[in-house]
Amino acid sequence: MAETRFARAINQALADAMAADASVILLGEDIAAPGGPFSVTRGLLDKFGADRVRDTPIAEAVIVGASVGAAMGGLKPVVEIMFMDFVTLAMDALVNQAAKARFMFGDQTTVPMVLRTPHGGGLNAGPQHSQCLEAWLAHVPGLKVVCPSNPADAYALLRAAIDDPNPVIFVENKALYAMKGELPDPPPSDRLGVARTARPGRDATIVSYGAAVHTALKAAEALARESVEAEVIDLRSLQPWDEAAVLASLARTHRLVVAHEAVEAFGVGAEIAARMADVGFDELDGPIVRVGAPFMPVPFGKTLEAEYVPSADAVAAAVRRTLA
Amino acid sequence: MAGLTDVLLPKLGLTMKEGRLAEWRVTAGQPVRKGDVLFVVETDKIATEIEAPADGEMREILVEAGETVPVGMPVARWTGPGLAVGDGTGEAAPASPPPQSKPPAPREGERRVVATPLARRVARQRGIDLARVAGSGPSGRIKAIDIERAAAAPGAAPGTAPGTASPAVGASFAAGPTPVRRRRPASRVEAAMARRLVAAKRDIPHFYLSMQAEISRLLAIKEELAGAPGMPRLTLNTFVVLALGRALADMPEANALWEDDAIVELGRVDVAIAMQTDAGLLVPVLRDVPALGLEGVARAAAALAEKARAGNLALDDMAGGAVCVSNLGMHGVAAVAPIVNPPQAAILGVGAVQELFRPGPGGAPDLRREITLTLAADHRVLDGVRAAGLLRRVARHLERPALLLRTAA
Repeated sequence: MAETRFARAINQALADAMAADASVILLGEDIAAPGGPFSVTRGLLDKFGADRVRDTPIAEAVIVGASVGAAMGGLKPVVEIMFMDFVTLAMDALVNQAAKARFMFGDQTTVPMVLRTPHGGGLNAGPQHSQCLEAWLAHVPGLKVVCPSNPADAYALLRAAIDDPNPVIFVENKALYAMKGELPDPPPSDRLGVARTARPGRDATIVSYGAAVHTALKAAEALARESVEAEVIDLRSLQPWDEAAVLASLARTHRLVVAHEAVEAFGVGAEIAARMADVGFDELDGPIVRVGAPFMPVPFGKTLEAEYVPSADAVAAAVRRTLA
Repeated sequence: MAGLTDVLLPKLGLTMKEGRLAEWRVTAGQPVRKGDVLFVVETDKIATEIEAPADGEMREILVEAGETVPVGMPVARWTGPGLAVGDGTGEAAPASPPPQSKPPAPREGERRVVATPLARRVARQRGIDLARVAGSGPSGRIKAIDIERAAAAPGAAPGTAPGTASPAVGASFAAGPTPVRRRRPASRVEAAMARRLVAAKRDIPHFYLSMQAEISRLLAIKEELAGAPGMPRLTLNTFVVLALGRALADMPEANALWEDDAIVELGRVDVAIAMQTDAGLLVPVLRDVPALGLEGVARAAAALAEKARAGNLALDDMAGGAVCVSNLGMHGVAAVAPIVNPPQAAILGVGAVQELFRPGPGGAPDLRREITLTLAADHRVLDGVRAAGLLRRVARHLERPALLLRTAA
């Protein structure tokens, strides 16, 4: 076991995947010599050379479009989009090409690419560099969406994403890059679509993913002092998501809160809440409560942003509400 | 047809899934009185006469005599209250009137029952009328716990003297053994654990010794240490594991197992710790506990706990040791008499810290903080005197915490 930072675990996953498979290449803005804006790709240019670690122009539609083509041609591109906000520019390549190719060409081709991109606020990066847009992508059949909460998962899920024959969006919360955590040696392997119980509990279930898992754990700790034992489920994959694990937890606790940093309205939480209200109806002993950011752009100002990102207090309050 | 409810094929036994409607004793259009036999159901075991739970009029026969139908299927429609199935596998009378069991009556003024889905399900299973339950949730919403409370209240149990005014749903079927709420096959881990526990309790001649340890000084030292920089999380169990390790080191003859008619003394003091995880009870083993010291025990135990939580414990992690610690103190349990985990030969049950007064010198009350240690031991390996010696050493180590912290010689 070694302590590793989140960004470093992603770097190691990329390096190990590239060493294991010569068809894995990296594309992105400033990822080669500068090592990426968050230093995630640092050192990979030296290790694998400029053919496999390519700096691109500032043109997201081109980067992702080229990756879709490269993937269909037999490579396994891992693209970095510097901020998730810029995924807007790559939407046609992602939604109309990457997600559709396997279906439209009768399974003659797959698109084994990964799009890595950071989301989330807390860095005073303003409304155009802080958004959590994963729900958009989880809504598109043909795309998979992954969002790890710790270094070990970041490693294992990125390796699984690169190995997956389908296009996978790999979402990294900026606030986690500096987080330290255990990365076992040899590093773990895993598959997509499996949730993890981050903390067991009997009174209420908090479903979360990414950085919000830590908010949920903090809330669970606070609730434990009130003798409320909240179970925290870390989804890890959003598309596909582990419905069975969430339902099993709900069947034990009979109460559900879904917490994420993304805007609450029309979000991932809405999907989970709606599914559980259906398949878990008779298990519910209280309303399903969502916790997410308010329905407004991410504010720039430090104090405003601190209010904007959902807090542990907000998650704890939601648990108390469903227990009322 | 408003005002009619379904008469359902009742569930007459826990395993009953279907029944043959052997005979109708009433015909459509016939008025019936409470207690009249409506029809006869045959299962593979028995023929049962089904009585009307209230007065009413049979309007429509849906299933002919001789047909076999699943439990919960409507067999007729009548003007009386809905007939419940018996254990909740089907709902009473999903026809027009709500399953409130009142005779058809104008519904004006009847308040809507606000209840959670789980509360509704539990009420259905227990035969509790939601209209008579007070809700403790927001705006009087009925929650599952309100149903449990109502069910526990005297006279509220289904089938107990329904009275004349408002017969409870399915009152005439709810007698007999307690209904099953849920039945699920044991998981593989649960089944394996069950086999091991049965074998352990059957094959090991257990006996139990209890002793109190006064741990005020230990708690003070623990609190002082907890603030130290770089100190891993210390729990009372950290100290108990170390104390047990030291006690076993003091008494190597107690660090022993029973194996094929031989007593095997172990050459290193390893201590097992019982841990509750999602996958069930796991018992990983700490190696060479006396050499680890306090911080070492804390770190090693935390690492094993994390592995256990993540489901990554290897068989090697759970092998070895002669004695195990099972601590339920955090759950407020006063004393624990655990089952020995073979091939180990003893297990130490640890209870919660209790504050109490004991007569001090001169008889004045002396405030003490005590835990109850209960050693369950295999009599083939440890006799009463030896087990008492081991237990006393554990207690003495806990009562002399400064010495416990001393690095192993």
